[in-house]
Amino acid sequence: MSAPLPLPPRSAPELRDLEEQTQVGEVLLRALMRRQLRLSVLIIAVLVVLLAAQPLLAWVWPSYADIHVLSIPLPWLVLGVGSYPVLVLLGIIYVRAAETIDSEFGDLLRR
Amino acid sequence: MIDVRPAALAGLVAMLVATVVVGVFARRYARTTSDFLVAARSVPPTANAAAISGEYLSAASFLGVAGLVMQYGYDALWYPVCYAAGYLVLLVFIAGPLRRFGAYTIPDFAEGRFASPGFRRLAVAFVVLIGLFYMLPQMKAAGITVETATGVPYPVGVAAVTVVVIAIVVAGGMRGVTIVQAMQFSVKLFAISVPLFILLFEFGTPWHIFATVGATRNPALTRPLTVAVQKGETWTLPSPLRLATDHPVSASERGGPPILLRSGSLAPAGTLVWRGSAQVTLAAGEVAPMNPQTPVNPSSTWLRPFGPLTGGSGQPVLYTYSLIIAILCGTMGLPHVLVRFYTNPDARAARRTAATVLVLVGVFYLWTPLWGALGRLMAPELYTTGLTDAVVLYLPRQALPHLLGAAVSGIVAAGAFAAFTATLSGLLISLAGAIGHDVYGRWLRPDASGASRRAAFRASAVGAGVVAAAAGLMVENFDISVLVGWAFAIAASSFFPLLVLGIWWRRLSVAGAAVGVAVGGASATVAIVTTMVGAGVPRLAGFLQAHSALGVILSQPGIVTIPLSFLAMVAVSLRTRAPANVPAAMLQLHVPDRLGLRRDYIRD
Repeated sequence: MSAPLPLPPRSAPELRDLEEQTQVGEVLLRALMRRQLRLSVLIIAVLVVLLAAQPLLAWVWPSYADIHVLSIPLPWLVLGVGSYPVLVLLGIIYVRAAETIDSEFGDLLRR
Repeated sequence: MIDVRPAALAGLVAMLVATVVVGVFARRYARTTSDFLVAARSVPPTANAAAISGEYLSAASFLGVAGLVMQYGYDALWYPVCYAAGYLVLLVFIAGPLRRFGAYTIPDFAEGRFASPGFRRLAVAFVVLIGLFYMLPQMKAAGITVETATGVPYPVGVAAVTVVVIAIVVAGGMRGVTIVQAMQFSVKLFAISVPLFILLFEFGTPWHIFATVGATRNPALTRPLTVAVQKGETWTLPSPLRLATDHPVSASERGGPPILLRSGSLAPAGTLVWRGSAQVTLAAGEVAPMNPQTPVNPSSTWLRPFGPLTGGSGQPVLYTYSLIIAILCGTMGLPHVLVRFYTNPDARAARRTAATVLVLVGVFYLWTPLWGALGRLMAPELYTTGLTDAVVLYLPRQALPHLLGAAVSGIVAAGAFAAFTATLSGLLISLAGAIGHDVYGRWLRPDASGASRRAAFRASAVGAGVVAAAAGLMVENFDISVLVGWAFAIAASSFFPLLVLGIWWRRLSVAGAAVGVAVGGASATVAIVTTMVGAGVPRLAGFLQAHSALGVILSQPGIVTIPLSFLAMVAVSLRTRAPANVPAAMLQLHVPDRLGLRRDYIRD
């Protein structure tokens, strides 16, 4: 771990900053981490709200379970069928946004 | 009903042959240590995602979810949904950074991030603990499946599967397992969906099935049932039951006076304790008696939230939330799941792989609840025999016409075989990696050559497999979901906080991480052990019943132990110094791949 990191061939000054952990590098890295973490927390917040709302809804409004669509209770459809497309959608949104943040960071360094 | 064993056995053998052939074929490509352990990082995202899904969809998913839905109805849906959602949590918090970091196990991450070999040992200990515990329910599923398919005793089934799995792992390492597991995913998806479509074609659409379930109060037998009851066995009768016995036999309501049951007797609703052994025959149309492990669950509660699974505790919302959080957070802490991500070439591929996994496991889990609903309608005798876990194996042979039933039985048997061999071989690789790479390669013989490291990996795989099989022989009577839940809760309370804080919080110190892992993992273990012991101690059980919130927290501890672990990590870290290598570690974790800062732990 303590061995020096190999420098890439074409190293912009800012990349050197990052590697040598100067103050400028620190600021850049912290900004990157903050953006990525904010994105992650946002995605998980949406997931948790969507999941946690269902027991709460069934608790405060028991007739939620009396709604039927084609004889199937609505809570079954929402949880057992609706969850999967939402998970995939959140996953795709995350991957795209995270790749955008990464490439903007790269552009910043190479400019 | 004809004997379907030949077809089911043919399904097992076909799967075994396919596994071995693909494994041997793949072996030609496993040459170096790096090949062996991380498949040379040349696996494309789609194949890797299929392998991850193949490994993750264990017997608990293939058999257990359907059985759980059959028993508990709506509440059981949280399991498959949260198993899938756990991957989203893994994707957004750790997939990219961990791949960049270039380590391939949790112990590697632990040491690289904290520069502390001592802490690494603690992580290895938890990998082995969680891995062994997660192997137990797989072993049980293996024993039951082989027993159902061939009629050989449970221990023979466990032993046979152990030999096969060890052979796969020793022969191919992960390169072999990647291809084998990708194939196994296809088999599982086929075996959970196509037989279901055939059953639905035979018995009606999903809405027809739900309408029929909703129209009946309690599941009624679809055909006559003859069972052998033993003295001391308990049945719970949802309604009065007309029965026939081969000889008059005495029974009693719990604590009540004995009644004599003979052919044509009407047993009263409630708990019935058999005071002698007999062959009991029930006519079709009678409401199925429930065995002691199966709660009475009329359609009115089965179809709705807060049935016996979450509502039995008296704190249904608390229980549901704790269940959700434990599974969501436990996924990333399972040792065999993370290893796979290092077979991606870079962080971008790792993220795309995890997103693809969401699609694959979602398509799989979508079908599992319908098996449970069909089981409630077509095979209520499983409530009496207590074999709801086997509903996927049982339905095709029982409900389909002869030849078709035999063929479909073969398909589901192959799917079940794929399910437990995939997860078992993944777990075995992780354990063998931890023991062979860590214990041997780092502590005992740090200067060992590549050849002797590979030998150590193989020897560890054999050793861990034998230990898990021996333990698996002892869990025949344990509840699969208890064992699976234990592994998830410990993983969620130890490795989840370690990974999330270790990646995203600079101040996390080695002391904080160690205290958090130990406190969270130990408190989750203690809580679950208390619940298991409590089930056998009436005074403790009564106390927990009276203090329902405490009872919920002990049986489903995640909602308390996960925050506890986080708190311990933060509190101790703020009072100690963060390791000196934090800036370098953060660079490696977070700087995008194309800037060229990545280094790998394992090189040729």
